[in-house]
Amino acid sequence: MDCGDVREVLLDYQQGRLASDAHGQVRAHLDGCPSCAHEDRLEHELTLALERRLPQYPAPLAFKRRLGAQWPAEASSAATRRPWPKKWTALAVAAVLVLVLAPLAWQAVLAPPDAGRSAMVTEAVNDHVRLLQSQRPLEIENSGIHQVIPWFSGRLDFAPGVRFAGDADFPLRGGAVGYFLDRKAATLVYGRRLHSVSVFVVKAEGLPWPRRGLERVGRLEVYRTSARGFNVLLWRDGELGYALVSDVAPKDLTLLAEKFARSS
Amino acid sequence: MQGRDEGEQPGAMGREALAYADGLYNLARYLTRNESDAEDLVQETYTRAFNAAAQFTPGTNLKAWLFRILRNTFVSHYRRERHNPVTGGLDTVSPSLPAPEDLGRQRDSIELDRLRKAAAEDIERALMGLSEDGRTVILLDLEGLTETETAQVLGCAVGTVKSRLSRARAALRQALADWET
Repeated sequence: MDCGDVREVLLDYQQGRLASDAHGQVRAHLDGCPSCAHEDRLEHELTLALERRLPQYPAPLAFKRRLGAQWPAEASSAATRRPWPKKWTALAVAAVLVLVLAPLAWQAVLAPPDAGRSAMVTEAVNDHVRLLQSQRPLEIENSGIHQVIPWFSGRLDFAPGVRFAGDADFPLRGGAVGYFLDRKAATLVYGRRLHSVSVFVVKAEGLPWPRRGLERVGRLEVYRTSARGFNVLLWRDGELGYALVSDVAPKDLTLLAEKFARSS
Repeated sequence: MQGRDEGEQPGAMGREALAYADGLYNLARYLTRNESDAEDLVQETYTRAFNAAAQFTPGTNLKAWLFRILRNTFVSHYRRERHNPVTGGLDTVSPSLPAPEDLGRQRDSIELDRLRKAAAEDIERALMGLSEDGRTVILLDLEGLTETETAQVLGCAVGTVKSRLSRARAALRQALADWET
């Protein structure tokens, strides 16, 4: 790669969007080219300036409440529905029974192991979205991992086992106690550029943690998926289970999981 | 958009869509330059999104879809209504010629120093000096959209996004380096 090639992909390089061999080639060029290395520093400084100091304008809370009130509960408004003729009612009841009972039968007899896993992914994404929407999502703002983790004592019947205190790439923003399916969860929120990454920690026993299609991240074996535009990582580590959810790139989520693996 | 009964909650799509309100409002604020128009633009975006909800494929990228609606609404309505077709900007002019080597090194050092010291208002002012497309690609990049998603939002090729982003960042650097901070 010459200087022109490197500068063309410098932003991709900084954002981890290059394949590993191309990444290595750029790294090697930067190590031997002071001019491009300086350009790399300038681009990095510009990114930091934009991410950390450009004023952000979140939507006013009253406006968000108005938006929430105006988004209908269902796509089809009750006002537009016509009453059904009586003779269709019996057929409708039968259809409803089939619709209700068939999935139950499916779950009881034929349900694939993926069904429970899918419920966990859905729950993780829903919880993450609730946190984003909440006006006051964190019960304890970050004042250091040594304040945040002890805060969970007495609020949970397990220790969350998280040692990663956050860093410049993933600053710890705070924590909260919530529910994940049928149990209490420790929720930690880390930042990534302008985004939030939610980490849910629960007692793992009794949940259908994925056992197939896992990939190794450090010492962990994680299950990676996405739902509704969010990336999700699930893994079990001894008695505890973890779910990471965010709209950041999959590579960024892996990076955070690696930090968890190294620190726990 | 019709209101809903008290006590009802938005459906799953609504909840997810509302989670993006901050990002949408931030872009709207930087495009329209004022709070009132930003609220109108975001409100109109959600109205259009709800009306077109049947066209959205569940499981695809709702965030990029909402940003595309916002951007199209801005282009087709707000910009035209205000007779303010801002197409120019620092990122639409050719960059100045490179300085001789010694001067170039000196300038690089000053640029690095000024970037590190740039205050919030300087960065905002520099961003507002870009064209609308330049501002949009910078803000969508900060929002974490990939170049492919940004291309979907802007309705252009990925290569165009790359070059717009590159020009916009170069213009920001030049603006921040040129100002005394």
